[in-house]
Amino acid sequence: MKRVQMAGAAVAAILMGTAAAQDAYVVGVTGAMTGPQAGILAPVVEMAGAYVNHINSRGGINGKQVRLVVADDQGEPSRAAANAKKLLSQDKVVLLLNSSVSSTYAPVVAETKRAGVPLYFAGAVCPKETYPPADALQFCSTAFGATLDSQAALAFIGKSSKEPVRLGLAGMAIPVSRGEVDYAEGLAKKLGMTPVDKEITPPPTPDYTPFATKLKDANPNWMWAWSPWFAQVRTYEAMRRLGWQGRYLTWAHLNAEEELARLKDPDFYVIGTNAFFEDNLPIQAEIRAVAHRGNVKYPVTYLTEGYIVGLVIETALKNAGWPPTPSKVAGAMSKLKVDLKGLRGGPLEWTKDNHFRTRQYYRVWHWDAQKNAVTRVQDWQAIDVAHQ
Amino acid sequence: MQLAVNIAVLASIYALISCGYVLIYRVSRVLSLAHGELMLLGAYGLYTTASLFAGSPLLAVAASALLAVLIGVLVYVLLMRRMTGESVLAAVLVTIALGILVRGLTVLVWSTQEQHPLDMLGWRNLSLPMGDRARISAVGLAFVLITATVYGGLYMFLRHTHWGIRMRAAGQNPLLAAQRGINLHVVYALAWALATLTGGIAGMLIACDNALDQTMVTIGLKAFPAALVGGLDSLLGALAGSLVVAGAEVLLIYYIDPLLSEVVPFAVLIAMLVVRPWGLFGSREELDRV
Repeated sequence: MKRVQMAGAAVAAILMGTAAAQDAYVVGVTGAMTGPQAGILAPVVEMAGAYVNHINSRGGINGKQVRLVVADDQGEPSRAAANAKKLLSQDKVVLLLNSSVSSTYAPVVAETKRAGVPLYFAGAVCPKETYPPADALQFCSTAFGATLDSQAALAFIGKSSKEPVRLGLAGMAIPVSRGEVDYAEGLAKKLGMTPVDKEITPPPTPDYTPFATKLKDANPNWMWAWSPWFAQVRTYEAMRRLGWQGRYLTWAHLNAEEELARLKDPDFYVIGTNAFFEDNLPIQAEIRAVAHRGNVKYPVTYLTEGYIVGLVIETALKNAGWPPTPSKVAGAMSKLKVDLKGLRGGPLEWTKDNHFRTRQYYRVWHWDAQKNAVTRVQDWQAIDVAHQ
Repeated sequence: MQLAVNIAVLASIYALISCGYVLIYRVSRVLSLAHGELMLLGAYGLYTTASLFAGSPLLAVAASALLAVLIGVLVYVLLMRRMTGESVLAAVLVTIALGILVRGLTVLVWSTQEQHPLDMLGWRNLSLPMGDRARISAVGLAFVLITATVYGGLYMFLRHTHWGIRMRAAGQNPLLAAQRGINLHVVYALAWALATLTGGIAGMLIACDNALDQTMVTIGLKAFPAALVGGLDSLLGALAGSLVVAGAEVLLIYYIDPLLSEVVPFAVLIAMLVVRPWGLFGSREELDRV
């Protein structure tokens, strides 16, 4: 009898749990919360979580709470696939976020396609399926974008150089980084620059000096690096220690603002699409407050990307209405426009065939030794995102 | 000249890491697959002591070294000692579990944010000239000097001290050593302490040269082929194996393709396993024990 009562209580608890879940918007995340890449991906998820708490504290969306279910995949494809299966089948999420390395994409895409649930890439590189013509179920708000970043970077190098450009290129041995560096090499030739060397480093390596030696011996006057931050900056530091004196341009990952202040090298530039906190915008004060309330452990300068994810989730779910279904959420995301209030050069806009953004805006920063501060050397430059 | 310097530094890194694998294997016949994580813990130890003893960098370094020794002893006393009498495979699996635990704990305690302990110590990684045609970083030079000191010290310790001779005896025949009155638990704890200290020092130096983040675990594994190439039970072998692997890596990066650097250690290892499975200086009979 006692067993029957306990079983009954368990069933009731499960039903109540399901009812509670169905009374909220359930959003899933598979992310590299631990593992080698966690340093640049976990802050995005933590800040998105803090923003969801912020939404809930204001009464939720359409009067309903939002539940963010986070599963750590450590950047491993098999774990990401298992997470996706669990989130889709057990948690019945109406939207799945992937904040992990690109090798996890294929299994997660397969699972979401099978379930018909929209997949939102947040923090890691945007897959080409989000560019026009976009896949109906894949979306991306991550700051960096393949090919566009190299276009913007080489345009800046071209504008900033009085002498002919001898370009060195550095990437990491992952498909997305190698592809971008190969693209930059071809583009540089078209722009009249001379690519002198291209080094692809393993992820990771204990000493970057052997790679830097080869780059330095090729004698570039400019370097362009596009890979995870640790590979970009350690190649740069190794080149400097070998006595190389050229200018180094690299992608502004989450920690770029803090790193520019650490390195204090006026010839080390970063290019990016998220405003730095030196702007002191009202929305940045809000990011600071939300992060503080959410007890986020990372420096506030790391958190813009995660805050944008929060804004996107809020707008998409609001427009999808209640009760939500995956198709309603996908529909809302296919005509989404989020005012980023200065966090980027313009609004984040998705259309039916463009789930990346319609325009990408770039700024460039470096360390100004005279002002003893991080300063902007190029204001927003827009590139229209066309069919790839 | 620069290539020779690069080989010396990379070989020192591999040698300092792989000597931990060898020490534990040689004495207790256990292959520690948590070595990368113990390096990571050593580096976080330095990060913590650098915060605690701000303004006293030498004290911070000494405290972090002591911490590494203590961690090694604790790993043995609390975990590996309980594996006495169990199969070697079970002990290896325990080290895998230990690695997972350490990785999780470091994220919980210190988060995944990249840290720079060298800046916290108030030191700079200067670039030093080596003649007219080569340069070495201050941390790279420290790697070479410390690795030479560690190997020299271990040679003296194992050859000329009572505890060193006891360690060798326990490694060769633990039953006989125990019957002769050698306390095996103390010997094993000492081996874990020394391995964690050397691994921890490697972790601290890598964190000072590059930065401190979770990628260090992978770096720990990259040195494993060097230990195997040299022979898993030989310190001299670890040194030679590190030199072979680092030499092949640096030369192939420069003259052929940088992408080869990832596969070179394992290619050298496979070649060695085909030609001489017990490694350059390893013992033939050790093969049965692996």
